[in-house]
Amino acid sequence: MNTLCRAEKATDTPQKGFHTIALRLPLRLADILFISAMVLAALPGKRTMAFEYRGYLMGLLGLIELLYWLHQTMHKEPVRKKSSGDIAAVMFTGIIVWELMTSHLDLLQHLLFPVPGKVVAVFISELPVFARCLVSSLGLLGAGYLLALITAIPLALIIGWRKRLFAAVNPLTKVLGPIPPIVYIPYAIVILPTFKCASIFIIFIGAFWPIFIGTLNATFNVDRHLIDSARVLNVSEKTMLFEIILPGIMPAIISGATLGLVFSFILLTAAEMIGASSGLGWYVKYFSDFADYPRVVAGILFIGCVVTAITGCFERVERRLLSWKN
Amino acid sequence: MEKIRLDNVSFAYSQQKSMIPVISGVDLSVAAGEFVTIIGPSGCGKSTILSLLSGLNSPSEGDILIDGEAIRGTGTERGVVFQHYSLFPWMSARKNIIFGLRQLKPRRSHKELAEITDRYLSLVGLDDVGDKYPNQLSGGMQQRVAIARAFAMDSDILLMDEPFSAVDAKNKMGLQGLLLDLWNSGPRKKTVVFITHDVDEAILLSDRIVVMSACTKGIKEIIRVNFNRPRNRSALIKTPEYAAMRHMLINLLFDDLIEEVAV
Ligand SMILES: Nc1ncnc2c1ncn2[C@@H]1O[C@H](COP(=O)(O)OP(=O)(O)OP(=O)(O)O)[C@@H](O)[C@H]1O
Ligand SMILES: [Mg+2]
Repeated sequence: MNTLCRAEKATDTPQKGFHTIALRLPLRLADILFISAMVLAALPGKRTMAFEYRGYLMGLLGLIELLYWLHQTMHKEPVRKKSSGDIAAVMFTGIIVWELMTSHLDLLQHLLFPVPGKVVAVFISELPVFARCLVSSLGLLGAGYLLALITAIPLALIIGWRKRLFAAVNPLTKVLGPIPPIVYIPYAIVILPTFKCASIFIIFIGAFWPIFIGTLNATFNVDRHLIDSARVLNVSEKTMLFEIILPGIMPAIISGATLGLVFSFILLTAAEMIGASSGLGWYVKYFSDFADYPRVVAGILFIGCVVTAITGCFERVERRLLSWKN
Repeated sequence: MEKIRLDNVSFAYSQQKSMIPVISGVDLSVAAGEFVTIIGPSGCGKSTILSLLSGLNSPSEGDILIDGEAIRGTGTERGVVFQHYSLFPWMSARKNIIFGLRQLKPRRSHKELAEITDRYLSLVGLDDVGDKYPNQLSGGMQQRVAIARAFAMDSDILLMDEPFSAVDAKNKMGLQGLLLDLWNSGPRKKTVVFITHDVDEAILLSDRIVVMSACTKGIKEIIRVNFNRPRNRSALIKTPEYAAMRHMLINLLFDDLIEEVAV
């Protein structure tokens, strides 16, 4: 066997041989994993419950495979094709491991670790509830985050542009900025009239500092050549701030805003877990209090989907705004 | 008639706690409609003089007068082309020029400004790159867009800092011709202060050449260039007068170098 392999290496480059085989075969790694997962789902395991829900699990596997195939046919660039294949393979592997650990080998505690099919079933039946929670959460998130954007950016531009204001404000931001916003939660709930106000305030604080500090430092350190070329055109101060500096430091603003978004999402769910009666964070907390772990897992997965969708939108906006950079 | 006057001008950059003197006691007078070129060794303060003339920096001592009045800050009567291409990277080439024009003529319609823009883009030989962003253009192309922007502003005074340094030889000749055309055209001649390292370019373009000494030593010599205009490049460079002037300029520039090496 060993000698055979070596002989092959010497004559034909194995790399090339492997590629031609992979090209000729329509099946890729993700497809192989998909078939294995389907077989695994069809086989009866140790937990009888898994068998009842096998239709749901197969549906999920089928959906992932379908999306993967659609992506493969729609996109032409090999890099993106490869990465979508890798993502699908990782998802299938995750599901296979989960299925093996729960229903087939039964290594994990029944109550705490539901079988994947059950979670899928709960996920689908809970969609109306999720939708209501989503509306309530997005309301808070949108209000707090937008408030942070529209206050932090203009304020930071003006302060960063005036050297004296910057010198006065910068030490303050160094003290207030690094305070973890979570510590404000109990206090905000007490001092503000409603829970809604308190959570919006906390989300605002969480998003404000990264956006403000990012914009402030970028304004202060803005490229002198840009400023000079604008100054010799005799631009007004308003034009300088909003038509030159603002687009000039857009990359820094966007990285601040991305950080702010992550923070505000963390704070949103944290606040909801503490005092809300609706929302995504509340959902997970509420059902873990009842030890209803299929719902908890479904809720966590739903939050994952929501965060992915939001960051996806955000990246689109970012690409639009920075199209000149590429 | 005198257009620009530098009156005993000194300037030092402040850096942390110390001041770095760059030029001291410079006197220079530029007549209206005159084309003056400044040459000198790298780091002698040419760009610094231009930043003072444009109003980006103020002299630490002395005055800069335009039409007999001390300047205060920047002004659109002075068009500037920087040594470093100074386009706004988030605006397309065309938008860069329109933006400049908009500052000068806020009331004009967009269509009017776009027409002026396209005319000047085509003059610098960039008809079809108007919609590209600066980082999609080569260095020389960016320089030409910046030149088109300054030309389109049609200001009385043009301040140009090595504007053709990144442009290839063929386009450079075209742009030199274009610059002379623009300088001459219009109801009255523009006043140009032009910085270059290229001795031939200086002789071809200028009425007077200001040769600077190394840092803080100021102006070494001012040479009048009396060749008749329009100057024919290929005929001119064959004349002994041209060769003599070129020789003199190079000697003036090299003196400093030799001194520096000796030190
Ligand atoms: N912003 C600044 N801060 C401190 N020193 C500076 C600054 N800009 C220029 N200098 C210094 O001033 C001197 C003159 O610089 P300047 O840019 O005017 O030279 P230059 O004659 O234009 O040179 P070059 O031909 O290389 O463009 C140099 O010694 C440089 O180090
Ligand atoms: Mg210079």
